[in-house]
Amino acid sequence: MSTFGALGNIFKKQRYYFEGEGEMVVDLDPSAALDQRRDELIKARQSGNFPGDDMIVNMGPQHPSTHGVLRLELVLDGEIVKKVTPHIGYLHRNFEKHAENLGWNEIIPYTDRLDYLAAMNMNHGYCLAVEKLLGIKELPKKVEYIRVICAEFMRISSHLMAVGTFGLDVGAITPFLWAFRDRERILDLFEWISGARLLYNYIWIGGLSRDMPSGWIKQATEFLDELERNMKEFNRLLSGNQIFIKRAAEVGVLPPEVAINCGATGPVLRGSGIKWDCRKDEPYSIYPQFEFEIPVGEGRYGPMGSAFDRYWVRIREIEEAIKILRQALPQCPEQGDVKEAIPRRMKTAAGAECYVRSEAPRGEIGFYVRSNGSDIPDRVRCRSSCFVHVSLLDEISRGCMVADMILNIGSIDIVLGEVDR
Amino acid sequence: MRQYFRDVWRGVFTVLIGMRETWVHVFRPPTTKQYPHERFQLPPGTRQQLFMNADDCIGCFKCARICPVNCIYIDTVKAKPTEDLGKASTGNPIRQHVVRFDIDMFKCCYCDDCTTVCPTECLYMTDKFEASVYERSNGIYHFSKYEPALAMKMLAEQAAEEAAAAAAKAAKAAAAPKKEPAAAAPAPH
Repeated sequence: MSTFGALGNIFKKQRYYFEGEGEMVVDLDPSAALDQRRDELIKARQSGNFPGDDMIVNMGPQHPSTHGVLRLELVLDGEIVKKVTPHIGYLHRNFEKHAENLGWNEIIPYTDRLDYLAAMNMNHGYCLAVEKLLGIKELPKKVEYIRVICAEFMRISSHLMAVGTFGLDVGAITPFLWAFRDRERILDLFEWISGARLLYNYIWIGGLSRDMPSGWIKQATEFLDELERNMKEFNRLLSGNQIFIKRAAEVGVLPPEVAINCGATGPVLRGSGIKWDCRKDEPYSIYPQFEFEIPVGEGRYGPMGSAFDRYWVRIREIEEAIKILRQALPQCPEQGDVKEAIPRRMKTAAGAECYVRSEAPRGEIGFYVRSNGSDIPDRVRCRSSCFVHVSLLDEISRGCMVADMILNIGSIDIVLGEVDR
Repeated sequence: MRQYFRDVWRGVFTVLIGMRETWVHVFRPPTTKQYPHERFQLPPGTRQQLFMNADDCIGCFKCARICPVNCIYIDTVKAKPTEDLGKASTGNPIRQHVVRFDIDMFKCCYCDDCTTVCPTECLYMTDKFEASVYERSNGIYHFSKYEPALAMKMLAEQAAEEAAAAAAKAAKAAAAPKKEPAAAAPAPH
């Protein structure tokens, strides 16, 4: 769809007026001509030579569509965005400094609050790093299974939130409510297994805080059946909607080489058509046991790496997560002690360090941990994907409209808790 | 031109498909609940407000030490040898008066670490979650059995005793060096 509105396409013959040459009728494919003119306009405006006054507008930090306390400084020329400068730090909570004063175990509640929409994955990533540091190689089978099940449920819940709010950014309210209905069911399951709805502190170093209640697996399997039906409904409502596709398929284009150079991970990288997933390419936990695919962007309705591609990768990832859960839930052992491998004393040699990355819903989450020989870590550093994605905003939204800007923020799906840490 | 009308047709048609989905929802039972009047049943083991049973606390400080946000404040007074404070319900002997056990619920992060380390299971999470208060001071919960005035008095007594003991020790230490050279002198080098 042309930026100048659908009405421009009705007339095949476009009338253009040129100075000194009188009237000239150009018989071209109208959309191509309009696109060309738009490109020229954008190019002129990007170069800064275009006459006109620039306006600087602050978007956020209280703006509801910035998905948190993100402030964007937009340089606008009319309605066209010339430059985006993200200002972060409104949610800074000093995670690293806190971690230097707490025991290895006590940091886990703080990792919950990094990405509060995917707290299980954060716990998992941190525990993987500390387990590697402490040299815990073999974990009980039950622990590994429950960890993967929880992580995948969390991925579904996080992606439901992402696609729901993306719909909301476009202007569709119903899909948001439907996504939240399903997300609530997942949170109910988590509340049953861990006691909390959002910040779980469930995955501990070498084990889990609680055992799985009996009947949980049955309930979870029943929910999966329902979720599959609901996702079909969701796709009919939003993903198949031509208006939505046309709206999202041509904005926020992130070329693959830019994505790699900037260090994008997760659905943002895969939306640009690059097949990289930590669960497959650098397997951790028991992921090699399961059959699943890595969905990548196809560029079916527009250029590769558009906002729609990232959205579609998320929808496909929900399906893949259901596939993993279908395999993991029946295999999960009923018997076993989940606290068996939790170490009594968490001490290592001074100076021991390691870096472990794992796949969270929003991208790779990496934890660098270093010990100083006592109970307390010397350094815990978190490499977050959202921080990288915020810096991509300027790259993908230069030259777009302000309304497309909202879509771009929604499509990269950032959580400010993880950006600021 | 053809593409344009095709897009318009697709736009209308796919919206109609979506409308059918939403229309089906009219005949389904509602998923929402009118919260203050209807309530969800919380699952067993849910983690809401923290509660302490003062009869069972032995004053071991484990919860205060593991708390990631330091929201538990404990003061204890050692029992005199003549006093018998009984036993906790799990059989652990109580050897100290827990004169102060305050939990700052504004600081609490509901992580459940303190309840797992508690040896007598006197600290646990209840299923009460409607605990909003109008003043910040009301968010600090006092669980101790002792009145604040009595607690202050007992703490002052213990401090005085400790000071006296420390003074006695210092006096003893001051007296000790006199003996030491005498003992050390005969030792050959």
